[in-house]
Amino acid sequence: MNPDGTIVARKLCKSFGRHQVLRDIDLTVAAGEISCIIGPSGSGKSTLLRCINGLETVDRGVLKVNGEDFGYVEKDDAYHAVRPKRLAEQRARIGMVFQQFNLFPNMTAESNVMSGPVLVQKKDRVACRERAQELLASVGLSGCGHKYPAQLSGGQQQRVAIARALAMEPTIMLFDEPTSALDPERVGEVLAVMRDLAGNGMTMLLVTHEMAFAREVADEVLFMDEGIAVERGDAREVLANPREKRTQAFLERVL
Amino acid sequence: MDVIETTTTRSGPVPSIRAEEKKRITPKRPRDYVAWAVAIAIVAGLVWTAVTNEKYRWPVVFSYFTTQTILNGLLVTLLLTAASMGLGTLMGLVLAVMRMSHQRPVSGLAQLYITFFRGTPVLVQLVFWFNIAALYPNLSIGIPFTDISTPVNVNAIMTPMTAAIVGLTLNQAAYMSEIIRGGFASVSRGQHEAAESLGMSGFTKLRHVIIPQTMPAIIPATGNQVIGMLKETSLVSVLGVADLLQSAQAIYARTYQTIPLLIVASLWYLIMTLVLSVPQSMIERRFSRSTRTRLTPAATSAEPGAGQLVPPTRESLL
Ligand SMILES: Nc1ncnc2c1ncn2[C@@H]1O[C@H](COP(=O)(O)OP(=O)(O)O)[C@@H](O)[C@H]1O
Ligand SMILES: [Mg+2]
Repeated sequence: MNPDGTIVARKLCKSFGRHQVLRDIDLTVAAGEISCIIGPSGSGKSTLLRCINGLETVDRGVLKVNGEDFGYVEKDDAYHAVRPKRLAEQRARIGMVFQQFNLFPNMTAESNVMSGPVLVQKKDRVACRERAQELLASVGLSGCGHKYPAQLSGGQQQRVAIARALAMEPTIMLFDEPTSALDPERVGEVLAVMRDLAGNGMTMLLVTHEMAFAREVADEVLFMDEGIAVERGDAREVLANPREKRTQAFLERVL
Repeated sequence: MDVIETTTTRSGPVPSIRAEEKKRITPKRPRDYVAWAVAIAIVAGLVWTAVTNEKYRWPVVFSYFTTQTILNGLLVTLLLTAASMGLGTLMGLVLAVMRMSHQRPVSGLAQLYITFFRGTPVLVQLVFWFNIAALYPNLSIGIPFTDISTPVNVNAIMTPMTAAIVGLTLNQAAYMSEIIRGGFASVSRGQHEAAESLGMSGFTKLRHVIIPQTMPAIIPATGNQVIGMLKETSLVSVLGVADLLQSAQAIYARTYQTIPLLIVASLWYLIMTLVLSVPQSMIERRFSRSTRTRLTPAATSAEPGAGQLVPPTRESLL
């Protein structure tokens, strides 16, 4: 079976100094599946996502992305960190969308989208430009390619950021609260793009507070609290009939 | 306008225009006039004394203004500024990279350097380098672990000019490294993370994403350093380097025209800093308009083009 687009985490642990942020997290995302992570702020949702694309290193546990150990190779009794070049290769196959967009302000929207394929994959510039224009059109931003991030609204910037991640042809897309920094009337346009993406069979792991969206598109939901994966299961099931007390309390607060 | 006139003539004191359309006037206050009066008085006083006090000897000032000695000194000052700025910036870059290293011994060493050179007066440093032969009379420059080496007589190579360049450069490097480090600190973590998550290598990330964004912080500050350095070079006159100030001093040591020659030197420094400040303020204006680097939610969710200007450092490579 082709393992592309899968994430497997077993007993994942991560501490910042003495503060343990992830405690034995188990997570499985199958290819083409949409998984949502929900939970109160500070519960370790971002940290989990950032471990999966190497923005944070894992302390202990198993993490396999696209079927391979991520960032480390297993040898003898230990996991050995891979060389930066290898890590970059693994990362290039995972798209990441940030809460604060993090577009490169010194590049136009089009150059932002092209930056990965041209600078990392060393692909032909002309072809990349064409592809960037297609991608921008697919997120509803044809004609905005020449604009700089500062000239775009938050919603537009986030859509460019999604297009930039997609340009690398990732097998997995990670979203960390992609709509939390947006004005309420801009949230819909970003969710629409993500809904499209979900419909096209992309593996997606997303941290969100948009419960309605989670209920609509997600296959699975993981509820985290204080670094613990408290409850995991079918999205509709967990959101409608949570088993755990903490999940119930959280959902009562946010719904 | 004609509405006003017709209504006033027709109905006298009756309000001539509707309240919604009336201009709003802020009356000038006495202090506005006082400020002007005082400023004019001071400038007039200065001009008056400059013109009437014979001891300024303006004719002498003009006669020495473009003599060969002064022009040569001017050239030396400019060369010193360029050399120590250029070398100091290069060395500052190295120090900044060291300072940002995650390896404690490396960053510690850079920190030590910066603390020392910023914590002692340049004048003392200059004199120190000039007298370095007292500490190390002979140096042996060679390739380690081989027999290839040449002895160097420190006294012979540490001419006033060398001491001047070494002293100014080493000092400038400490300041430039802090400016460069500040530039890098002004780029948010998120930019590094975005570049890394695309799989960019460290070099590609720096070259295409980070360094272009450091420029708005680094370039204007560097411009200020150039102007500062131009004036700072006058300190090398204590070593006997024939810079602008030293040339003026050399002339008045012979002619006793102290004040007129100090005026000549000052005017030249003023002209040079004014000339340099033109591109400097252009650069500053260009870079200070930027609304970038740290993108706050408020700024980023603004309507497209809502008073936001195009970022200045354009990446034309893509
Ligand atoms: N780089 C870091 N250094 C130290 N503590 C951190 C760091 N990043 C996150 N934390 C801490 O880890 C905990 C979980 O943070 P995070 O994963 O951002 O939570 P969430 O995304 O669920 O709000 C918080 O208590 C936060 O303060
Ligand atoms: Mg978070």
